[in-house]
Amino acid sequence: MTDEDAGVDTRDRARWPRRAVLAGLAGAGLTATAGVADRIAPPGASPPERDLADVRRTAERPADAAGFASRDESYARSAGPIERASAVRRPAPAPAPAPRPGPEFPTAADAAAATEVSVATILDPADPVVHLLRRTTFGPTPELVAMVHAVGIDAWLESQLAPDTIPDPEADAIWAAFPLASADPPTIRASVERARWDAMNDHSTATMARQVWSNRQLFEVMVDFWANHLNVPTPGPGGWDVGPGYQNDVIRRHALGTFSDMLVDAVRHPALLRYLTAAQSTKESVNENLGRELLELHTVGVASGYTEDDVRNSAYILTGRTVLGRDAGDDESTFRYDPDKHWVGPVTVLDFHHDNPTAEGGLEVGDAYLRHLAVHPATAQTVARKLAVRFVSDVPPPELVDRLAQAYLDNGSAVVPVLTTLFHSAEFWAAVGQKTRRPLENVAASARVLGVAPVDDARRSAIALANAAGRAGHRPLAWRAPNGYPDVHAAWRSAGGVVETWNTHRMLVGDWKDGLTRPDPAELPAGRPASTVGDYVEGLCHRLCFQAFRADHRDALVAFLGGDPAAPLSPSLDDRAAVAAIAVVLDSPYFALR
Amino acid sequence: MTDRSPDLPDGNRPLTRRGFLTRAGTAGAVAAGTALAPARVAFGAQADAGTLVVVFLRGGMDGLSVVVPADDPHLAAARPRIAVPGGALLPLDRGFGLHPALGPLHDLWGHGRFTAVPAVSMPDISRSHFQAQDCLERGGASTGAAEGWLDRVLDSTSPGSAFRALTVGTTVSRALAGDQGALALRSVDAFTVHAGDGMQARTTRALTTLYSGIDHPLEATVRATMDGLRTATLVSALDAEPAAGYPEADLGAQLAEVARLVKLDVGLQVACIDVGGWDMHTNLGTVDGGSMTSALTTLGAALGAFADDLGDRLDDVTVVAVTEFGRRVEQNANAGTDHGHGATVLLVGGGLVGGTVHGAWHGLAPDQLDHGDVPGWNDYRDVLGEVVSTRLGVGADALRTVFPGHRVQPLGIMR
Repeated sequence: MTDEDAGVDTRDRARWPRRAVLAGLAGAGLTATAGVADRIAPPGASPPERDLADVRRTAERPADAAGFASRDESYARSAGPIERASAVRRPAPAPAPAPRPGPEFPTAADAAAATEVSVATILDPADPVVHLLRRTTFGPTPELVAMVHAVGIDAWLESQLAPDTIPDPEADAIWAAFPLASADPPTIRASVERARWDAMNDHSTATMARQVWSNRQLFEVMVDFWANHLNVPTPGPGGWDVGPGYQNDVIRRHALGTFSDMLVDAVRHPALLRYLTAAQSTKESVNENLGRELLELHTVGVASGYTEDDVRNSAYILTGRTVLGRDAGDDESTFRYDPDKHWVGPVTVLDFHHDNPTAEGGLEVGDAYLRHLAVHPATAQTVARKLAVRFVSDVPPPELVDRLAQAYLDNGSAVVPVLTTLFHSAEFWAAVGQKTRRPLENVAASARVLGVAPVDDARRSAIALANAAGRAGHRPLAWRAPNGYPDVHAAWRSAGGVVETWNTHRMLVGDWKDGLTRPDPAELPAGRPASTVGDYVEGLCHRLCFQAFRADHRDALVAFLGGDPAAPLSPSLDDRAAVAAIAVVLDSPYFALR
Repeated sequence: MTDRSPDLPDGNRPLTRRGFLTRAGTAGAVAAGTALAPARVAFGAQADAGTLVVVFLRGGMDGLSVVVPADDPHLAAARPRIAVPGGALLPLDRGFGLHPALGPLHDLWGHGRFTAVPAVSMPDISRSHFQAQDCLERGGASTGAAEGWLDRVLDSTSPGSAFRALTVGTTVSRALAGDQGALALRSVDAFTVHAGDGMQARTTRALTTLYSGIDHPLEATVRATMDGLRTATLVSALDAEPAAGYPEADLGAQLAEVARLVKLDVGLQVACIDVGGWDMHTNLGTVDGGSMTSALTTLGAALGAFADDLGDRLDDVTVVAVTEFGRRVEQNANAGTDHGHGATVLLVGGGLVGGTVHGAWHGLAPDQLDHGDVPGWNDYRDVLGEVVSTRLGVGADALRTVFPGHRVQPLGIMR
């Protein structure tokens, strides 16, 4: 392992000048720490200097305390060395993608065609379309695989990146069964008892329905990504009236827009201001909650080297952002900027500086600060690495992260160019089988590949699916802490989660009164109708996992159905073993990986 | 083996793990469990190995509201709105008093089964929640050790049973992340595959083969899951006694699950439980109500019920409640506190040196503080190291692996 791999003490680097450090961040990954030793704190911003020689003082910068750049990186490293998805054997494309170094191709289809998968995986890398759909949707379906083959990878991605152009009647209809999912705060306050979670539950469940049934799959993937990045748990404490509005007006609105706009809207939204208690922060004594998480989780990250002074200044800048009627305790669902609560005076956070001279101007100072943070090179690293973890591997290649970060900076934090860079990269196409489906993704992918749909009651069906994800600890949007659900396998190595997911497969194929249609074993297998055990097994593997299983694994399925591949079989809903075999195929690692 | 050794149907004891699994496999797990009930079953436990329960209070518990330096004049000055008044406190020693919502723990104090250590931290711990949690759960941030500290503890103890290490929850505790096969699940009774009548055995066989030779960490996860399922079947078949006296909160159900596994001698060495909601920037409240009183009431009731539930078996268990950092000494304008440093650790169970609050404490005079916070006068690794060396028999050499770069110096918490 290199020093960077090990997350070693970075104190040696603490004296680096800032410029060198920022270059280091952009060029070498996440381990560099910024350093400006002589910072002038605003008056009253820090405790007076005392002689503390006899007390062991803590680091003034979280980065000096060392460690991994994020929870997910930390978890991923706990599993030991992970093969990086960077193996590319074929020659570099011509012309070389100057000026940036690295395996970038003119189109996604070119990258797919030129990339040979050499990582060890049981997944069959033969069809890049299946890989693409495992990563950019909540699960491939036979129809979708056929469609992408028909229109081509590039055309399909182009349409997915313009979701408004994609008709979505089925998902819209199910979404409409949850009227509170898109209700505004006054509507919710008028129809839901104070502090009850009905509207948030509606939104979470309707989100699951969109993940399963929407045609705008990449959009839904990105909604989930950003909702976790700027997490306000929905459902979760405190968001009863404003949670759905936050998800719709901030996350969904900007999911394929710019992070800059999303961040500015988020930090003007009552949901985030209440969740991270900024709505109660005032100039008399700031509470640092949002000011800190904004730096640590939402933007530059600990590795950027911000100090405790920076945290305090970050919180000062955000004072005055509150909600209407906060003092009266009634309507807390409308954003309000209160100049009387804004801390006035010079503020400095990393390389942001503002004189912040007036109370009235405080909101604009804050917006300028947020826009500064949004396009900070360290924020680009944070977002780029997270996207690479989402789409490529739990320990993504730093070279790819750097290219994504550069695309992010070159385009003012616009999301689509970063995704385009990602899909044009060899690393993306080389990473077959390097990700694992989290519980929610497994449940959604199962429902999608089986093609289940509501029989009559859309609410009931969607609730059954959301509850299934919830039993495995992964209800949509519901992670309680501000850092969002983990996105690496090491955090989800849960025996209980595995078993819950397996049981969900049985729910989906069985007669569990969940309001969903059941797949018919007679019609399910790919190719010709099955007349023998061997045919059936083969047909299920291709239909559900889009590939043949290894011989010993196929034989295990044959054994499940009696052991003789030549034995006649006419699978039907009455044949319990044939029905259960569908679940076993979904239980398999060929389905658990993505 | 001691008097807690398992009673096996044929009187053969002790039985190795391999022998037990063979037996369960041949007789059919459910049948074996039924035949054995209500006797205890051999789950491969080492009878002399106790159980460590680590309760992680996420968000940074304000230790100064919990184990309160009641005699310190600086506390009331710094916290005019939120300091717990001295008259309300339950007396401890060394000038400390316990928050009145923790009455059940004060009862245990009287029996030497509850104590606390204030001002605990590590040099690598910052005021960031997630950096601090990660550091604590890895046993240090700057050491390069990537596994969780408890994973390294398990690496040094006996291999034990399928239920040797458990997160009672849905994601794996970072402290248990690694290759020791720790399980994570919410409920033993819910931990069963609904394969359908007559299809349990063939489902297990198929899945075992499907997850063989796949060159992915899922293989180990599923192997541990399968081992766990066999044990869970036996546990579910054995235990009919409902847990009583626990509060409604998740923590109550989680501790009840742990107590049940302890009483059944499944060989549980380490259990991890997360409790969120301690990041009280606003409205921390007073002893009459508010976030802190509410959270502590649940914590105290759950730990008290756990102790009652275990009875004498509490002697074999140590609960350590940790949190990533304490809070700033001075209250903020929202009648809450911001992130601080030195934390307060609570310990419940057997083997404690009772009757005193442990560790160094130098008071809250401003010149003692670290950036306005309680310093880390006591090192987390000394507290945790002493607990695991006594409770789980982790030797001195192994401790140097558990906490690289640190020599554990016991504070005298454990007998």
